Amino acid sequence: MEPSSSLPPDQPTARRNFLAVAGSLVAGAIVSLTPLMAGLAFFLDPVLRKKETFKGGDADGFLPVTTLSELPDDGTPLRFALLADKVDAWNQFKNQSIGTVYLRKFEGNQVIAFNDTCPHLGCKVDYQEASQTFLCPCHASAFKLDGERMNHIPPRNLDTLEVKTDSNGKVWVKYQDFQCGVEKKGAV
Amino acid sequence: MNSLLDWLDVRTGYKALVHEALNEPIPGGAKWKYVWGSTLTFVFAVQVITGFFLWSAYSPSTLTAWESVYYIQHVMSFGWLVRGIHHFAAQAMMVLLGLHFMQVVIAGAYRAPREVNFWLGLVLLQIVLGLSLTGYLLPWDQKGYYATKVATNIVGVTPVIGPQLQQIAQGGTTYGHHTLTRFFALHAGVLPALLVGFLALHIYVFRRHGITVSEADQKKPIGKFWPDQVLMDAVACLGVLATILFFTVWKGAELTGPADASEAYSAARPEWYFLFLFRFLKFEEVDKLGLVFGALYVPGAIMGVIALMPFIGKWKLGHRFNIAFTFALLAGAAFLTAIALKEDSADKNYQAAVHMAEFEGHRAVELAREFGIPSTGALSLLKEDALIQGPKLFARHCASCHRYNGHNGLDQVPMREVEENGEKKQVEELATAADLGEFGSRNWITKVLTDYHTTFAPLKNSGERGERFLQGEMAEWVKDNAETLKKPENADSLKSLVEFLVAEGGREELQPFDPALVEAGKAIFKSGQLANGSFTSNCADCHTLASVGEGAGPGYPTLTGYAGKVWLTEFIKNPAHDGFYGSERNLMPGFEGKISDKELKLLVDWMVGDYFRKK
Repeated sequence: MEPSSSLPPDQPTARRNFLAVAGSLVAGAIVSLTPLMAGLAFFLDPVLRKKETFKGGDADGFLPVTTLSELPDDGTPLRFALLADKVDAWNQFKNQSIGTVYLRKFEGNQVIAFNDTCPHLGCKVDYQEASQTFLCPCHASAFKLDGERMNHIPPRNLDTLEVKTDSNGKVWVKYQDFQCGVEKKGAV
Repeated sequence: MNSLLDWLDVRTGYKALVHEALNEPIPGGAKWKYVWGSTLTFVFAVQVITGFFLWSAYSPSTLTAWESVYYIQHVMSFGWLVRGIHHFAAQAMMVLLGLHFMQVVIAGAYRAPREVNFWLGLVLLQIVLGLSLTGYLLPWDQKGYYATKVATNIVGVTPVIGPQLQQIAQGGTTYGHHTLTRFFALHAGVLPALLVGFLALHIYVFRRHGITVSEADQKKPIGKFWPDQVLMDAVACLGVLATILFFTVWKGAELTGPADASEAYSAARPEWYFLFLFRFLKFEEVDKLGLVFGALYVPGAIMGVIALMPFIGKWKLGHRFNIAFTFALLAGAAFLTAIALKEDSADKNYQAAVHMAEFEGHRAVELAREFGIPSTGALSLLKEDALIQGPKLFARHCASCHRYNGHNGLDQVPMREVEENGEKKQVEELATAADLGEFGSRNWITKVLTDYHTTFAPLKNSGERGERFLQGEMAEWVKDNAETLKKPENADSLKSLVEFLVAEGGREELQPFDPALVEAGKAIFKSGQLANGSFTSNCADCHTLASVGEGAGPGYPTLTGYAGKVWLTEFIKNPAHDGFYGSERNLMPGFEGKISDKELKLLVDWMVGDYFRKK
């Protein structure tokens, strides 16, 4: 059969036509949006759901790093790797380095900890013995020993981390990563 | 708004295109029977959409496929929904294909000038079959793995180029990472692209010829595609979507345990829409004619007849033949499917294997949730799990003599073939040793002390040596003392003795032990003094306890640590040791050297109930 070349006559009433159009649009929207919306929500999983990045800390999330006796008394920073069970989506990797920190000890066994990630764009800063500064090799961010920024390349000072020491002289750090490139220190 | 649309129309000409798409005339008016092609296109669109999102989370390798699908299904937001829709839409597609095909044959839509479109439809059918086959493997679970293996082995029997084809499909001579990357490339790339191409051609040619309209309808007024037929199509799609969602919520997409090439999966079956072919291949007559005949020539011949339908339809009775052939085919497939389902539902061992696969799936998920998946993959979680491995090891090493609550540990009853009046028959294999389902529990010890003969009754099936056990010293002792022990006044004494012996094993699952009862039981063990009366001889006269007496020598099992981990391990290694039955009396083979230390540990951990339990 050859296709009809003339358009079909407009025989249905306008009212019937309107219902058919509306019904088609509604049903069409439901069937097409259901898989699409479900899929989009699924795709947004990384922002919808809080995920652990490591396991093995104490109840408050602190990880053991070193002992007070390992830290120099003059406040010279030392870099340590933090070991925990790394969680990457479904995998759990036992006893991996989940990040690195600089620790400094002061009189009265006060300890401060810096996340050694540069708050500018996320490279790792290095302690320069000669100038007693932290320097980022990527974009020349520089920080004083107390973490204060020395130029305006980084948007904020070095990020400090929570530290605690227990009765055995063990030093614990609560490791966190922070958003780079912004003035406000916010954990990610 | 209108000026903007006009602006766009001048540059793209979209209005003419939309007009062309929506204003197809439908002689005789819109009809429900015309919806099947549209529903198929809709379901394909659903598959493309959900497939893309699943793609963003799926990782094709033998160490990550099951793992990522587990993550999608059980952890990610709405993962169960997206995967469920994809899973059940695939099955809906098979049903809709069948309906669309039937509609085409009944309406005679294959007739000139629509032959080419009919063949394009057959190509689309093959592509969809290919998609379902390649998709089935991707979760890399036991079910998909073994079902797909059958299909690739069928490819392997193709005359002349079979082995090469199979290797190309598998990415080597065996299944591995490469199989998954290839199947995934086919499933998410090549086949969908082909489907889009052929679907475009199919719809283009369809539009060229229009809907096949019956003679009666041709005389009726002409209806319109938009909005009359579109409404019916949309409502049909809504029905299909509702069905898919119903199954997604009600059943959910299944994920059995991770694929294990070393473990035969005796419940391997293809998806339900291939079940008829599976059952067809099982006929002895078909089997005799060879796999190539059943799996390639017969389906090939059927596809050949279908492809020739446009020509057959030209003959006087051709159209009727085509309809009859289609119905016969569907009836045959339905019949074979029904036989396959009936046989499987009557097959207890098959049901047990299905149950086991489902259980392994649940267990793998439970372990993955609790411990995270090691980089060696989820399978290693199951390989190290006593709850999964214990029953398997029991079935392999112990079930030829023992039972576990009446079965072989895996819910199967060992069978053997016998000939009766010249006919072969399957009969239950009799146990020749005690049922260990409750071994070491309070109930078990009570049974041994008060009803020795029933507990060890299967020993009579092992001949003269077994009889010796049933008439041995312990059997005699129980005969002499059971009545006394069962007296109501002695209920507490029995309870104490049992508590003491259970505490000896120190098994975690049986704790807590009552210390007062244990003390009292120990005294009874040593003295034989009960609340009412006393034993004819004390337990300690024969059985060694580290803290009590010396015991009577070989052949009297030591009860220090009875049925605990260490005791059981040593016992299984060498039951003929002087601390157990002694070489004279022992019936049980020693397993030292026959079972690895790791396997023995898993078996014992399972028997004593030492494995992870969800709180």
